[in-house]
Amino acid sequence: MTDERYGIDGITPAEEAAAETAEQVGEVLRRATAEGRAVSPIGGGTMISLGMPPERYDIALDLSAMNGLADYEPEDFTVTAQAGMPLARLQQALAEHGQFVPLDAPEFERATLGGIVAVGRGGLRRGALGSPRDWLIGLRVVRADGTAIRGGGRVVKNVSGYDLPKLYCGSLGTLGVIAEVSFKLRPLPSADRAAVIPADTFEAALAAASAARRVDGLNGAVAVSEESAADARAKGAEALTGAAAVLRASGLESSVDEVMTAALTAAGGGPAVDAASAIETWQAIADLELATPADCARLRVGVRPGSLAEAQAAVAAQFPSASRLLAAADSGLLYVDIPLGEPADTATMIADLRDAVSGLGAHVTIESAPPALKREIDVWGDPGPGIRLMRNVKDAFDPSRTLNPGRFVAGI
Amino acid sequence: MAGRRAKGQDAGPSPIVRELIEAIGEEAVVWQPEDLLVYEYDATIDRGNPDAIALPADTDDVVALLKIANKYGAPVTPRGAGTGLSGGALAARGGVVIGMNRMRRILEIDPENRTAMVQPGVVNLDLATEANRHGLAYAPDPSSQRACTIGGNVAENAGGPHTLAWGTTTNHVLALELVTPDGEVQWIGDPQGGVGRDQPGYDLVGCVVGSEGTVGIVTRILTRLVPMPTAVRTMLAIYDSVRQASSAVSAVVASGVVPAALEMIDKMTIAAVEPVLGTGFPLDAEAVLLVEVEGPPSQVESEGRAVESILRRFEPREVRSATDPEEREALWAGRKGAIGALGQIMPNYYLLDGVVPRTKLPDVLDTVYDVAERYGLPVANMFHAGDGNLHPCLLFDEREPGATERVLDAGGEIMRACVDAGGAITGEHGVGLEKRDYLPWIFSDDDIESMQALRGAFGPTENFNPCKIFPAGHGCGEAASGHAQRTIARFGDKAYV
Repeated sequence: MTDERYGIDGITPAEEAAAETAEQVGEVLRRATAEGRAVSPIGGGTMISLGMPPERYDIALDLSAMNGLADYEPEDFTVTAQAGMPLARLQQALAEHGQFVPLDAPEFERATLGGIVAVGRGGLRRGALGSPRDWLIGLRVVRADGTAIRGGGRVVKNVSGYDLPKLYCGSLGTLGVIAEVSFKLRPLPSADRAAVIPADTFEAALAAASAARRVDGLNGAVAVSEESAADARAKGAEALTGAAAVLRASGLESSVDEVMTAALTAAGGGPAVDAASAIETWQAIADLELATPADCARLRVGVRPGSLAEAQAAVAAQFPSASRLLAAADSGLLYVDIPLGEPADTATMIADLRDAVSGLGAHVTIESAPPALKREIDVWGDPGPGIRLMRNVKDAFDPSRTLNPGRFVAGI
Repeated sequence: MAGRRAKGQDAGPSPIVRELIEAIGEEAVVWQPEDLLVYEYDATIDRGNPDAIALPADTDDVVALLKIANKYGAPVTPRGAGTGLSGGALAARGGVVIGMNRMRRILEIDPENRTAMVQPGVVNLDLATEANRHGLAYAPDPSSQRACTIGGNVAENAGGPHTLAWGTTTNHVLALELVTPDGEVQWIGDPQGGVGRDQPGYDLVGCVVGSEGTVGIVTRILTRLVPMPTAVRTMLAIYDSVRQASSAVSAVVASGVVPAALEMIDKMTIAAVEPVLGTGFPLDAEAVLLVEVEGPPSQVESEGRAVESILRRFEPREVRSATDPEEREALWAGRKGAIGALGQIMPNYYLLDGVVPRTKLPDVLDTVYDVAERYGLPVANMFHAGDGNLHPCLLFDEREPGATERVLDAGGEIMRACVDAGGAITGEHGVGLEKRDYLPWIFSDDDIESMQALRGAFGPTENFNPCKIFPAGHGCGEAASGHAQRTIARFGDKAYV
């Protein structure tokens, strides 16, 4: 009987394995590859719904016990930790020295470092903070054949050899199992502010956030719909009373207020949230990235910031009843929950949306959906002409397709 | 053309050269021996001997050239401005050099989305200047930015003084049009994409940037631009010891301020720049520190004040500060003009590039001075102190018998010291020909095999930019690895992991 949390798209594996060291990961992978069995690495499980249903799934490889701090010299502004460590625990250790790794993953109490790197995406503040690829400086990873390798290093600037850390960022566990990661760090900002600008509609909120997005020093500009605001309020964002733009500025005490004032002016005014609840408000919104009601599918639309309003209009035209909306105006990101109909019909509507926004260079990923819908449509969408090379990479690193087979783009 | 042909009359163009000419035109192919000379060098000590230089005008030309070279089994080496510092643009096994200099158009600046689409031959400073006109900046600013190309920067993942705050080239490139060694063209990343890199799939862009031109030829580049800071303040402090200056660096970094740049030069560099540039540095000072902060005015104001008071805590002889662009440029003159000024002291220099955990910098610097003294070589140090990226510059006269060998041996020893300190063999110049034999100092056979597997995914590897990055025993000539072999013999070739 396997643990329920190892289920992926309704499929449960025949076997569970747990590893505490890279060597143990290697043993599991060596055996699995030799026996032609498929392995899915499992971290905190916060993004387990991402991807296509696995083609095969025999062994769940739980990495949550591999969670120690390997090396931390605060003055070097680098840290090395095992992949199963939750982000919150790392941030806590770093905060004692006034530092942090600028990753803004949702549910960071559970989300693990390895999982965050494997998913490889920035969150609502990706415009200002970048994504894991921008902070990962090195890693230790176990290949499908069980061999542990290293890429990068523990220095903040390094061009020695190929940049293997980039290859593994966002590879969704299809090229190897990440065992250890090294990040470069930043000093914790001494001041952190959020400001809420109430709006009548989501469109108005998005316009306000977009108007503020180019203010020098601002490092977050999001918009939430009325219903999403209610969800966030239930999670502690008391400052949200309806649709709103929410701005964030962090830095030195003496300058954040000036940044925020300039941003509020650009966005058309609004009261600043007091410092104590600012981060709470923001984090409650960030956690909405993972909160999809069971009767909905979650779409993630990524587009150039200048085309976000157009992409949003296309979404509204295709899914007029969708009311849970969340957008990052400064980096061109929109989340929308769409109601589920007959899987084939919903799939067609999503395909139509993809067509409608492809001229904008927008990409529509289905973040979470019932397996029945995933059977009707590729959740990833078009990976572009680079797919030829991506298949070559997969063949080179995991020729027997041991790792997460079928879950990544174009059936990889 | 007639004159050139007359000179080479006893050896007309070879069949491959004739085909290259047929494909892209006579004026775009260089093959006469005396014309090839200039392409034998880059900014390193090594050299290569290409058989022909082909200068494509567009992506189709690049495809045609690769197909011809492949048909003849000729080695191919891509080249930008030839300012590289690790031998990356040298034709290690001869063959065809594909020079990207004619593809030098800035195709589009998109101020709304803060991106630029450029051809690879665009000079770094030209892009920076054009971006400035839109209130934006191109962040990577290698010292050679007046000459080096964006394509070359992509190949080497170039850095520069201002990468402390903004990251290196890889943090900025969003999408690439890539011609793989087999002559196939494809976009990796989305040319219509934005800063979010939303196209699903592996991060091939991240794999290509910094691959030193070994997996294909980049023909178009979509890069991020960043906002031009509304205020900038540059501070310069002069110290009586490198340790004092290093302590000041540590204190600045620990203070929570992230400077845009944090640079140091040492006594030998001061001695070189002062007479040439009139920087006003006292010749008996041991170190000069440069710190730059940028951002909104109030932030620059308070960060500037904080940094200046830290600099003063470590007993500087003098602290200078400027916010005016011209005055700031004057403060930078000693750092930016350092390499050029070193020619006043000795005719040749060997510029090294190592990187160590920042706290190890003072110890490794001591080793650098020890090694230089032992080899009887003057050494000038200029480095990105905030990044732990050091650039010792060994000075010598190549006409002196054995001097070049001594310099290369000393360089190898310094590289080993960086590795022993937990660092790496290059922070921003690349491995190239120069350091490929040192790669096993920091990576195991399995690590290197994985990198080569990644290379293989992009296409055939036999003749495409051979002899770069990876240690290889054969066919690349003594000049390419003779010195490294001597260093390997002393320190061993085992992985230090």
